[in-house]
Amino acid sequence: MAFDRLSRRGFLGGSAAVLGASTFAPRIARAETTEIRALLITGGPLYPKYWEKVVADFTAKTGIKVKYDLLEFTPLTTKIVTLGAARSGLYDVFSTHTAQIDSFFNYFAPLNEYFTEDELKDFYQVGVDYLVNPKTKGLAAIPRNMDARTQYYRSDVYAEHGLKAAVTWEDLVEVSQKLTGNGYYGLVVPGQGDPAQRTFSDLLWQAGGDWVDDAGKPSFNAAPGIEALTYYRDLIQKWKVVPPDAVSYQWNENSTQFSSGAVMDTFDWPGAFSTLSNPETSKVVGKWSTAPYVRNKTAISCAISHAMALNSMSSKKDAAVEFIKYTVGSEAQLLNFNDYSNFPSRLSVAKQVVSEATGAKAEWLAQLEQTIATGKEWPKLPGFSRVCTLMFSTIERALSNQQSPEDALNQASAEALQIMTQAGAYN
Amino acid sequence: MTAAAQPAGRRWRRSPLAPSWQKGYLFASPALIVMIAILIYPLIYSFVMSFYRWDLSAPSQYFVGLSNYRDTFNSLGFKQTLRVQLIFSAVTIIIEVAAGMGVAVLVNSKLRGLKLARTLLLVPPMIAPAVVGLNFRWLFNGQYGLVNGILRYLGLPEAPWLSDPNWALVSVMIADIWQNTPLLVLLFLAGLQSLPQDPIEAAQVDGASPWGIFWHITLPLMRPILMIALMLRIIDTFRTFDVVWLMTQGGPGGATSLITVNAYQLAFQSASFGHAAAVSYVALAMSLLFLAVLYGAPWAARKLRRNS
Repeated sequence: MAFDRLSRRGFLGGSAAVLGASTFAPRIARAETTEIRALLITGGPLYPKYWEKVVADFTAKTGIKVKYDLLEFTPLTTKIVTLGAARSGLYDVFSTHTAQIDSFFNYFAPLNEYFTEDELKDFYQVGVDYLVNPKTKGLAAIPRNMDARTQYYRSDVYAEHGLKAAVTWEDLVEVSQKLTGNGYYGLVVPGQGDPAQRTFSDLLWQAGGDWVDDAGKPSFNAAPGIEALTYYRDLIQKWKVVPPDAVSYQWNENSTQFSSGAVMDTFDWPGAFSTLSNPETSKVVGKWSTAPYVRNKTAISCAISHAMALNSMSSKKDAAVEFIKYTVGSEAQLLNFNDYSNFPSRLSVAKQVVSEATGAKAEWLAQLEQTIATGKEWPKLPGFSRVCTLMFSTIERALSNQQSPEDALNQASAEALQIMTQAGAYN
Repeated sequence: MTAAAQPAGRRWRRSPLAPSWQKGYLFASPALIVMIAILIYPLIYSFVMSFYRWDLSAPSQYFVGLSNYRDTFNSLGFKQTLRVQLIFSAVTIIIEVAAGMGVAVLVNSKLRGLKLARTLLLVPPMIAPAVVGLNFRWLFNGQYGLVNGILRYLGLPEAPWLSDPNWALVSVMIADIWQNTPLLVLLFLAGLQSLPQDPIEAAQVDGASPWGIFWHITLPLMRPILMIALMLRIIDTFRTFDVVWLMTQGGPGGATSLITVNAYQLAFQSASFGHAAAVSYVALAMSLLFLAVLYGAPWAARKLRRNS
């Protein structure tokens, strides 16, 4: 038998050859085509189809394969935090967002060298500005679609009661009070976590305040901040025009309250336009209209963006950048708008979709453009990402009547100053 | 068999392998290596990192001594977290142990229909905490939840289960008690069934009441089991995360923020790993302290009795 003649040397040599072949063979095969990995955002049943199409089109055009994983917004951010802490090069490309970008300034590679000044001029300035590391001026990500909110209201119910969409804070209370009762609520706002901070932020700017002063020190506890948080709390606790459970609502719950027909008014992102028009995801199809976000002293609200970023640990940066450029290109942005009503981050694409729109969609796009034109974002100073977590519970404490708005904001301001000082915001 | 009893020509030869204790370590080494890699190393690493400023947004990590621990105890959120954790641990453990013992005594009796009850008791501990959290979130939903629906149907006032700070803490405690009490019932039941029957029968012959038998005989005999139950629950309550995170995310306004929730928020929302590590070690120190008291108190009492 052959086994009888198998020497130890022969066995070890054979094993090494098999092991070597199995290790190197895939690499030799892979060398023919470049493959990158991407961690991309999803949400809802239709989003995976979008990425499937974008990736397939990209591969067809460039020959670069993209292996991707999809996660919803919060688990996506959590995963990037974990990967960033481990300095992992597992993924070459990430979906990201303005809101959390400051946490990743050291993990994402600056994109400045890959985009010319002229190319960047085609993006909304506000979208690009808040993705820039204020210390290094590095562009941490490139906007894929703009995130700004408009008012969505039940036009059928409003017409029945002879009401018009609210324009000011006072209108909002007045109109919502008239529509609250019998298990229905006039308005819904989120009251937990990042969505609560986002809502407070809008109200803070609308009250004429800001997060920090000219020296970068916390100023959100000044009079406008107290006015904003008091108004926010009173919507839930005093005027009771918002479901009491709102203090536990994030975006999904907020949107569902409106799409289920339980509330008559909300402020939502561009994607809602598509979701509310789809009978599979909305019970109020054809019964709603849009209006501009309400105003107080100013009409400022958030103008942020979903974006694409390059992993600084990637070993295939050129291929990864090609994919990023494709996802923020005109073709992908048009597809994103047409199928999901996600508003383009490129001025040229935005101009095209606005010029082609008619009727209610045209009105909505004009409102959205107005929000973006005056929109802002909270500062990207060192330590501010930790201040955000502090603000989540601060706002929630005031909304749930555990503390007065003034006390809650004053305590948070003192702690925020300490956090930002430690993080080197004033060095 | 001794060496002298060996047949001629057959002598013990020294094994080419190491002595048996070394062989023991050799065989255990794969498991030991895995344990060191995935348990001991991260534990030591995170402890070391609790003395470093390690923020994802900072360009580098640097040593800050006890600063993370000082910040933790000075932060407003942590004071609230500590209070919530102590209330949560104390209330849930007391109720779970008391209810667990009561139900175990009942199930141990010879009443009809208890076989089904014993089987049903296995259900809550078998369900993943994440599923429990999601289910209770919907049960306690203010507008559409089953609990408020039943209250509404009965004409009783509805409760703001998840939106009111006090009710929210009650809600997460109910979920925890629902899931963990059956486990203690099973533990106590096993203990009750292994108790010697002689002292109990002797007490019955002497005319002792059922309550007297339970209080003066059963309970003292069950003390070792009780200690294990308390130990398990103390460790568990300081590790509770999934149920609370899925029900309330620690809200509203930190009203249900346990230490694990606080650590998670610091690590994954603030990307401040040094602070998160410090908070985690405070939780570990607290549970060790409680365990030390649990085991130390009876020992100290015995010593005092002996000395007196």
